[in-house]
Amino acid sequence: MTPDDLNSAIVTFMANLNIDDSKANETAAVVTESIVDRSIKLLEVVVALKDYFLSENEVERKKALTCLSTILGKTPKDHLSKNECSVIFQFYQSKLDDQALVKEVLEGFAALAPMKFVSVNEIIQLLRLLLDNYQQGQHLAPTRLIPFEILENIFDRFFVNVSSMEQVKRINDIFIETFLHIANGEKDPRNLLLSFTLNQSITTNLQNVRNFKEDLFDVLFCYFPITFKPPKHDPYKISNQDLKTALRSAITATPLFAEDAYSNLLDKLTASSPVVKNDTLLTLLECVRKFGGSSILGNWKLLWNALKFEIMQNSELNENALLNPYSKDQSSDGMVQYTNYEASLKIVNLMGLELYNFDKVSFQKFFTHVLDELKPNFKYEKNLKQTCQILSAIGSGNLEIFNQVISSTFPLFLANTSEVAKLKLLIMNLSFFFDAYIDLFGRVTEASLERPVPHNKLAEYKDEIIMILSMALTSSSKSEVTVRTLSVIQFTKMIKMKDFLTPEEVSLVIQYFTETILTDDNKNIYYACLEGLKTISEVYENLVFEISLKRLLDLLPDYFGKKIRVNDEENIQIETILKIILDFTTSRHILVKESITSLGTKLNTVAKVSKSKEYCFLLISTIYSLLNNNQNDNVVKEEDALALKQTIEPKLFEIITKEPTIRDDNYNLTLLSNVLFFINLKMPQAIHQKELDRYDKLFIFEGDIRILNAPNILIVPYVKILSAINKTCELPQKSVVLVDTIQLLRMYGSKVTETEKLGYLELLLVLSNKFVSEDDVIKSFDWKDLSLANIETMVWLAKGLVMQNSLKSSEIVKKFIDLLSNQEIGSFVAKLFEVFVVDISSLKKFKGMNWNNNVKILYKQKFFGDIFQTLVNNYRTTVDMAVKCNYLTALSLVLKHTPSKLVGPFINDLFPLLLQALDMPDSEVRVSALETLKDSTDKHNNLITEHISTIIPLLLSLVLPQKYNNVSVRLMALQLLEMTTTVVPLNYCLSYQDDVLSGLIPVLSDKKRMVRKQCIDTRQVYFELGQIPFE
Amino acid sequence: MSEFLNENPDILEENQLPTRKEDSAKDLLLGGFSNETTVKRRRLLLKIDHSLKSQVLQDIELLDKLLSIRTPPELTSDEDSLPEESEAESVTSQKNEEESELIDAQEIYDLIAHISDPEHPLSLGQLSVVNLEDIDVHDSGNQDEMAEVVIRITPTITHCSLATLIGLGIRVRLERSLPPRFRITILLKKGTHDSENQVNKQLNDKERVAAACENDQLLGVVSKMLVTCK
Repeated sequence: MTPDDLNSAIVTFMANLNIDDSKANETAAVVTESIVDRSIKLLEVVVALKDYFLSENEVERKKALTCLSTILGKTPKDHLSKNECSVIFQFYQSKLDDQALVKEVLEGFAALAPMKFVSVNEIIQLLRLLLDNYQQGQHLAPTRLIPFEILENIFDRFFVNVSSMEQVKRINDIFIETFLHIANGEKDPRNLLLSFTLNQSITTNLQNVRNFKEDLFDVLFCYFPITFKPPKHDPYKISNQDLKTALRSAITATPLFAEDAYSNLLDKLTASSPVVKNDTLLTLLECVRKFGGSSILGNWKLLWNALKFEIMQNSELNENALLNPYSKDQSSDGMVQYTNYEASLKIVNLMGLELYNFDKVSFQKFFTHVLDELKPNFKYEKNLKQTCQILSAIGSGNLEIFNQVISSTFPLFLANTSEVAKLKLLIMNLSFFFDAYIDLFGRVTEASLERPVPHNKLAEYKDEIIMILSMALTSSSKSEVTVRTLSVIQFTKMIKMKDFLTPEEVSLVIQYFTETILTDDNKNIYYACLEGLKTISEVYENLVFEISLKRLLDLLPDYFGKKIRVNDEENIQIETILKIILDFTTSRHILVKESITSLGTKLNTVAKVSKSKEYCFLLISTIYSLLNNNQNDNVVKEEDALALKQTIEPKLFEIITKEPTIRDDNYNLTLLSNVLFFINLKMPQAIHQKELDRYDKLFIFEGDIRILNAPNILIVPYVKILSAINKTCELPQKSVVLVDTIQLLRMYGSKVTETEKLGYLELLLVLSNKFVSEDDVIKSFDWKDLSLANIETMVWLAKGLVMQNSLKSSEIVKKFIDLLSNQEIGSFVAKLFEVFVVDISSLKKFKGMNWNNNVKILYKQKFFGDIFQTLVNNYRTTVDMAVKCNYLTALSLVLKHTPSKLVGPFINDLFPLLLQALDMPDSEVRVSALETLKDSTDKHNNLITEHISTIIPLLLSLVLPQKYNNVSVRLMALQLLEMTTTVVPLNYCLSYQDDVLSGLIPVLSDKKRMVRKQCIDTRQVYFELGQIPFE
Repeated sequence: MSEFLNENPDILEENQLPTRKEDSAKDLLLGGFSNETTVKRRRLLLKIDHSLKSQVLQDIELLDKLLSIRTPPELTSDEDSLPEESEAESVTSQKNEEESELIDAQEIYDLIAHISDPEHPLSLGQLSVVNLEDIDVHDSGNQDEMAEVVIRITPTITHCSLATLIGLGIRVRLERSLPPRFRITILLKKGTHDSENQVNKQLNDKERVAAACENDQLLGVVSKMLVTCK
């Protein structure tokens, strides 16, 4: 770089500074490079800038100095020689007198401080300069930041990797003094963060801190409790929490602060604001943790008194929380989540532990003092809950403390009693000690048996506790819901406690739970027991199976109406047992599998008894739900499906083909077929082809079923099994099957029962979706035959193509749309449009499976897009009312099965149609239109507002009992009226208030209670429209 | 004072209030089913799995749906018979759903039991101020005849100054909720209040009730009591 280049670079820099900073930066980088490759010297830069330095213009002087500082900042730390450093240092020092240049000078020093060849003397001089000549109060926040950075640099250079003790000693004191000087009175959050960090660095690394501890503490504590609300576009992204945490960790950085910290914090604890209190408590907690036992020794009495007050005054745990069977897990230990109450308890806990670790004698003093103060509470039953929580908090310190707490506390309150209120208290208080046990020794897990829990005092009370709890559960009267629920919850907690109960005792608990859940119909107790059984199953699945599930299954009778007895209860219903099985086996592998096997066997027996359709229905529904509910978690695995295939399938097959209880009952037949579907879906893919061939022989080609020869109800199970088969399998004679099915439907016409017909149509759907090629399907369409049977056939075939998003499907659907304008069959075709989008459960997408069918996830979106515009246009251009009605019907029926988020983009075109659909003489169309309106109310409230004058009278006509206003229509119209008030501005609503109120009077005498109820709610909302809010 | 009934009421939990038991399942199912088995089966199902989302329920709904799409072709192919057919259909469905449910004591109880007491955070039902057995409904079900509801309330203390306010709250709630043909009579249960007659007179005096309802502040208090109604 020549001197000219340098000059022009400087000019460019100065011109761009504050205008295009990145450009200026680039220029500086170029100059720095030249300095690094030694084509120019730094001093030459200074000389080149000389004129500007001496300029009268303040701005120019500033810019010149910035230029130098920027270049300096980019220069490597070891590049400048000792001599150069010294010269530059002095140069900057000379500029410090210029008040206008303070910021730039400081920047220069910040760049110089970390330089390798800047001597200790110069650093000391720099610190001295800052101490004497720099007035922090006179500068803006960005300027005040720089001294902190200088100190940080110095700290990093001299104190992090100490090279020479001597240097450190020389800098030590003046460094602290300078820090105190610049930190004084700081207010900017960014600077404060640095200040707190530096303070912590000083107290943990430097020497001689003891002499400065008061000042260092004051410069921290004057900010406590810190609060800061970040401005909207804060570029530094500093949160209130960052500041709090930094301050907290600085305050607790050194035990030297202990004395001051405790007294000041306890002072702050009297604050009334809960937020301040929380901050204080968390800081105290951190103090106890960091400062350790020695600091507590002198302070525990003060701390204890303050905390005791805090805990006794504010109990957060109410009874309901204890009665909730779904307790939260204790594992989370995030500091932030502590409430004031929890934090106080945690401090007490740590105080005990730290004291104990420091000096056992002092701990004894502490504990005796606490216990003596709390003892009267047991006697007078005052604040018992808090008392027990404090004691159990101390107890969860370590094993010996735990033992001491238990043996000194339990005799005070553990005594069986027949007084319900006392028993309730007793059980509740036990719970805290159980928690302490879990905190200390951990939870039971399947692998937890390796590290046994040491002997402890609680174990000695185990028998007594079990006795009290079982008495509470089994001998109190059924109306004592609270006590019984508590007992169940505590039993569950005991199960969770690692190494506490023996397997025999667990068995006993399982037995209690099973009996209770069967005989008690209170909801709370039911859920508590259920949660308990689930918890036990997590670890002792086999025990639960042996003791509970087997018993439940054995209780199921062979025929409906037989009395089931448990203990003294006579009328246990079959439904109850099945519900319990369904509820508690969820996602437990053994339990689910065994339940299915056992229920299947039972079904085989029951189905052979006449008049058992309903019982069969219940059993089938349970098996089906078990398979369906557990299908996503992969609980039923391939090998289970194989096992079920061997054990259960033949039995199910037997009854499905022979027993009228199943065959002649639509629901039983369909649901049981779905069970077969699931078993086949889950079997290993390798055997799919083999199974397919076997079924084909069984149903079509051999034996006496032959579903394709004449209508046969067994088409239903066949179709479901076929739906489960891998789509790559080869279906023997598939084209023949397709043609034969179409032929069969045509030939037998009205002789086919509706259920059979549905089965054959579904067969067409499955064939066209995954086995027969697109072309073959299209070939089988006969558009000339407009008989209803043929159209129906074609719709189902077309559905198979629509579901796989076939390219041809749009074209085919267009033809169906054309049929809507047909005078004779249009209305029937309109109804069939629902078929296209109706969800069939055996043609669903299952998670992790893509081989069972060709159903595309977004097929409804494509289909809706395909038909919507055409339908709307046709609707607009048609004059014939009947045809118009067909278009609307088709559209509404499709809408019913289309997720509302897909409809969103079309809503503007759709809305007027929906309003007209409300007038259609068909209750299903009305329901569907109302449903769509309801779904879109929230998102498209402007549309509702715009049409309010049409909507309200329309809705008022729909709430009256008339021909097409069935219960659903009336109910939904009322709901929509109610929703309207929440989305339409008040001034619009108010003008309809009287109309609605009087329009709804006749509905108050609706025949349906449900409708009346909704009417009352809706009227209530309108009564309160615009009313002045109370209070 | 010794015969006084409700001085320290046992406070009932929300779920201990008397309810219409068997009907919880029915409420979940909208009417309009073609036959009785369907309803029966659905009820059975809800007993083992109390949710409308269960796959089994969806599946049997699907089956019913698909079976119902297929109206007999012979009827629809003839254009003229189309309206007739739908008429017939709607008449049958009308018949099914319109087994009418009369307004009974439980229904009245459900309407008023959840009203908040003006000075407790509890409801009138929880405090046993209103009791199911103290509600009488005289209704023939005939839309053209008058019907009557008589409610006897039990204040928590004999000199309860808020008895009139509670009565007013109940009256406003019922007047808004019952068809106009119902006459509503609200009385204090015998022997539960020092100035029984006076309060009774005030509660059933049309003019005074109407005047009270024109007082915005009073209406605000009543609205606040009604907020907790379900």
